[in-house]
Amino acid sequence: MTELLLRRPTPPARHRLVARPLRRLVTSPGGMVAVSLTATAALVALLAGRIAPGDPFAAVAAPLQSPSVTHPMGTDDLGRDLLTAVVHGVRTSLVVAAGVAGIAAVVGVVVGTVAGFRGGLVDDLLMRATELVQVVPRFFLAVIVIALWEPGLDRLVVVLGLTSWTWTARVVRAETFTLRERPFVEAARSLGAGTWRVVAHHLLPNALPATVVMVSTVASGAILLEAGLGFIGLGDPDVVSLGYLANNAQRFLRTAWWMTLFPGLALVVTVVGINLLGDELDELLTGRGTGAAELSSRRRPAAVRGRGIETEIDGKLLPPDA
Amino acid sequence: MRARTAWTVVAFALVTAACQAPDEDVAPAPTATVTETETEAARGGTLVVAITADPGHLNPAITTSGGTHTASELLYNGLLAVEEEGGEPVGDLAEDWEVEEDGAVYRFTLRDGVTWHDGEPFTSADVKFSFEQVLLQYHARTKASLASVLEGIDTPDERTVVFRFNQPYAPFLLQLDVTEAPIVAEHVYAGSDPNENPANTDPVGTGPFEFVSYQEGAEIRLARNDDYFKEDLPYLDEVVMRVVPDDASALLALEDGEVDFLWGVPGPDLERIRTADEIVTGETASNPGGSNCIMTISFNLDRPVLADQRVRQAIAHALDRQRFLDQILFGQGEVAEAPISSGIAWAHADQVDLPEHDVAEAERLLDEAGWKDEGGATRVARGVEGVEDGTPLRIDFLHFPTFSKYGELVREQLGAVSIEVALRPLEPPVFAPTVFAQDDFDSNVISYCNGPDPEIGVRRMYDSAQIGDVPFTNAAHYRNPEVDALFQQAVTTIDRDERADAYRQIQEQVARDLPYVWLVETESTRAWQDRCTGFKIWTGLFAETASCRS
Amino acid sequence: MSARYLLRRLAQVPVTVVAIVGLTFLLVHLAPGDPILALAGEYGDAEYYAAMRARFGLDRPLAAQLVTYATNLLQGDFGISFRLGRPALAVALERLPATLLLATAGLAVSSAVGVALGTAAGRRAGRPLDVGLRVGAVCGHATPSFWLAQLAVLTLAFGAGLFPVQGMTDARLPASSLGRMADLLHHLALPALVLAASEVALTTRLVRAGLVEAWRADYLRTARAKGLPDRRVTYHALRNVLLPVATVVGGRVGTFFTGAVLVEIVFAWPGVGRLLLTSAQTRDYPVLLAIFGIVSLGVVLANLVTDLLYGWLDPRIRYD
Repeated sequence: MTELLLRRPTPPARHRLVARPLRRLVTSPGGMVAVSLTATAALVALLAGRIAPGDPFAAVAAPLQSPSVTHPMGTDDLGRDLLTAVVHGVRTSLVVAAGVAGIAAVVGVVVGTVAGFRGGLVDDLLMRATELVQVVPRFFLAVIVIALWEPGLDRLVVVLGLTSWTWTARVVRAETFTLRERPFVEAARSLGAGTWRVVAHHLLPNALPATVVMVSTVASGAILLEAGLGFIGLGDPDVVSLGYLANNAQRFLRTAWWMTLFPGLALVVTVVGINLLGDELDELLTGRGTGAAELSSRRRPAAVRGRGIETEIDGKLLPPDA
Repeated sequence: MRARTAWTVVAFALVTAACQAPDEDVAPAPTATVTETETEAARGGTLVVAITADPGHLNPAITTSGGTHTASELLYNGLLAVEEEGGEPVGDLAEDWEVEEDGAVYRFTLRDGVTWHDGEPFTSADVKFSFEQVLLQYHARTKASLASVLEGIDTPDERTVVFRFNQPYAPFLLQLDVTEAPIVAEHVYAGSDPNENPANTDPVGTGPFEFVSYQEGAEIRLARNDDYFKEDLPYLDEVVMRVVPDDASALLALEDGEVDFLWGVPGPDLERIRTADEIVTGETASNPGGSNCIMTISFNLDRPVLADQRVRQAIAHALDRQRFLDQILFGQGEVAEAPISSGIAWAHADQVDLPEHDVAEAERLLDEAGWKDEGGATRVARGVEGVEDGTPLRIDFLHFPTFSKYGELVREQLGAVSIEVALRPLEPPVFAPTVFAQDDFDSNVISYCNGPDPEIGVRRMYDSAQIGDVPFTNAAHYRNPEVDALFQQAVTTIDRDERADAYRQIQEQVARDLPYVWLVETESTRAWQDRCTGFKIWTGLFAETASCRS
Repeated sequence: MSARYLLRRLAQVPVTVVAIVGLTFLLVHLAPGDPILALAGEYGDAEYYAAMRARFGLDRPLAAQLVTYATNLLQGDFGISFRLGRPALAVALERLPATLLLATAGLAVSSAVGVALGTAAGRRAGRPLDVGLRVGAVCGHATPSFWLAQLAVLTLAFGAGLFPVQGMTDARLPASSLGRMADLLHHLALPALVLAASEVALTTRLVRAGLVEAWRADYLRTARAKGLPDRRVTYHALRNVLLPVATVVGGRVGTFFTGAVLVEIVFAWPGVGRLLLTSAQTRDYPVLLAIFGIVSLGVVLANLVTDLLYGWLDPRIRYD
């Protein structure tokens, strides 16, 4: 009985919020580009061992050879095959991106939900903490942590993940506020549905559009950041990543163009794919340009009623610094 | 050494010629050939020098940091100077000297009429003060080598300084140039903490150039010292040191003409720069941070895995040192032939038996030592003393981030004999305590600079008394009483043949024990605009005799 | 917006900054590493290193160091730089103008270009120009700033000789003050352009989206129906779009600091970013923390101003 009651008044949840836009995604031109770029990167990452078998650190040929049939992207200064390195680099960068976005999403949802449902002092404390984390200069912090502790992708993922959740937390919290007062949630709760059940069935679907944008922004930001840290020599030496390759190529900018070009292209393509995908999903899920204006008008007051720092432009919350 | 000598001869000729006939304002010949020695130096102009690191302060007497020395040595002088790479010292602030009592007493006569940049006269009191209150307290290298042996400094008159040692001390004359012992002014530093004296960023020296301004992280500006004690020197009106942290940007700035002098050319661009019009290059093994450096792998002899000499020898055999020279240094230097640098020619032993690249021999030695290749990626222990059976042969390798290529080659080459290497890049302030205070490493790579004499830069690597938390001493924790005794014997005699013999025995012994693997002797390639000439690229007083056509 | 709200927000500023710096203090001091090496060079003996450690209070327990540090911090004292021997705050503040100049110039360029491109795209939504600009913006946003910086140096500065390769001024300084100003602008142009490049994408997107939305708004439809020329309509629409865009861009001060680090390194620009890296490498804790304090303060203040400005401009938003 409770199950039935719980399900019936569910707002237009997953099927409307997710399935239809997903269908649109693969039919719109922008969406197709986004999906194919991201899918390519993801496939390369998944099949790295198949596409380029062998140790990316092994010397296989003479150093600094320009692209040829045997080594389509050339070799680096230690005679390692650049194609193998790029393939493994894309994989590493995607893993980093997924890790950062994953941590950020989980922490954000938990903090936002707890703050929204508990309210009062807990809410106040959590929001203070959110504001604090929000103003921490992320890249500066990453530089300090990596430079002071030893370089490693694990700590990079943790630092970036733990500083990228604030925006999700705010959106989730705002959603929670709206939902808390809605009759179907009250009904569900009065019937004894647990908080997390309400969260899973009602809140998350509504917070999804914002979370999707956050995931894409945070993920692409993490890839660029890892590359930036690699460039200044703070990359993980034991794993081939796009940052590692950027650092390696630095000295050869004028003598071995392929060392800069191919890893650079791989990075740009991956980041463009993720960004575009986020953009497209955002437009589709929030209904911008698709006529589903009621979604954005419903979200507006909720977000604005939050603690005040949220900056919203016409129904669209902006992600924080990448 | 061979390539270097040729250059040195040219440079030395240049310098000599420049010193002799600099009276008239005549432009020199456009290229750095021997014919140039016939012409006279141009006067005036600004020399723009790119430096990679911000110096922090400009007092070379309180630190051995390469950044500070590079930026500040033109402001100062030593008692003696080096007029030729690896050559005998010549007078600088001192014009004459005598060695007495078999090298236990050194007596210097100072130049007359030398003044500080603020006009005060330079006297023997400044020398005594510099050593006692500054160098022996704060200049790490001078303090470490002299503090225990120097008994006292006397100043019988304003122009005489006498150094008394408690035993004959051979290398002293090589420790008196502006890098090892810059002389600072007593009237500026007396009664203050030299580390906090404002003069560290507003320095007063005796050198060819005077301080004008220092903009932290950006540039240091120096101007000609019109009252310099060497007649007619310097030729340049102004020297600007520009902080350019990115090597590629610095090189572009040189090619572009924004910068006139570069301390080092990145390896990959070497070919192009050597053949570029309008740019001249020269190699040297001496840098203001240290000279005659050998990239050296240390093994932690306290670790069971590396305590076995056969394992260390196997690793040495597994390494192809030529590849380090070719692929990392792009030929700037040479494969090390002995534990002591060829830059200290008299002490460098030729024909020392160092393990050659031989993968089969490496594998045989590892098998023999109980590290068996059982088909996996990594060898495992089978009956190795102090190691549980089945333990994989896995070692870590610590390095400065700037030396990451060494780590990558070591990882790759040891991987070929199924030794797994985990790299740990650490910035110097972390690297030093990790290796020397905590002894927390299996292997590492350090650029050990041998300096002008083995007593200064070599002994610290092997002397068992130098095991401890002082950075860049005996990293391997090598203990051999015979070697300790030979070092002591070598420092207390000034007879060079006797010293050379002791150092030869030391090198043969450590080449057998292999606490280290000596990879490559490194050189730097300086590069400058060909309209400028007369650089002494092996010293921090590099621009003392330089001149540029406008 | 009530006075009470304003006061509360203002009171939060120092608390936030002190909290961030305090947390960073712990992070930094728990990290392995010995700053003494940067001070003393590499060949010292044990006694010497111990003396140096005591001089800077590094031999005391962490808790005691934190208490001392926090007490001094509340008086605006960030301690003495290990590396430079001068007050850390002064060291960091000296570098600030260079970074502010670069960031401001980057902000100005990205705003101007972004508004221009966004307007062009927004007026022709869906047409080839719009699609082209959007592709460009997305690619611009995805290109790492260091890579862009290197390419710019190689092609525009070195290849074409249009700009200097490094530094903030020419080492051979022009004599006249006008010449110096021109010299500075000449050096500033390329790093500012590079820094602006990735932000252009965001501004373009915002302006475009705002315009598209506004274009559909009733009053503009009416205006167009009444025959107002498109140019005038765009002007009206833009006025409503730009203020929120400005506040968003103002909220991204942190991004400009981040971008500045990498750009400063390639262009040898003597700003805070490079100081941060040097200080991290040499374990110059006091300077690191001072930089953190300054940057956090900047971000907090920028956010505050942005919020207040936005609330003031948009009466739909009420702060309580």
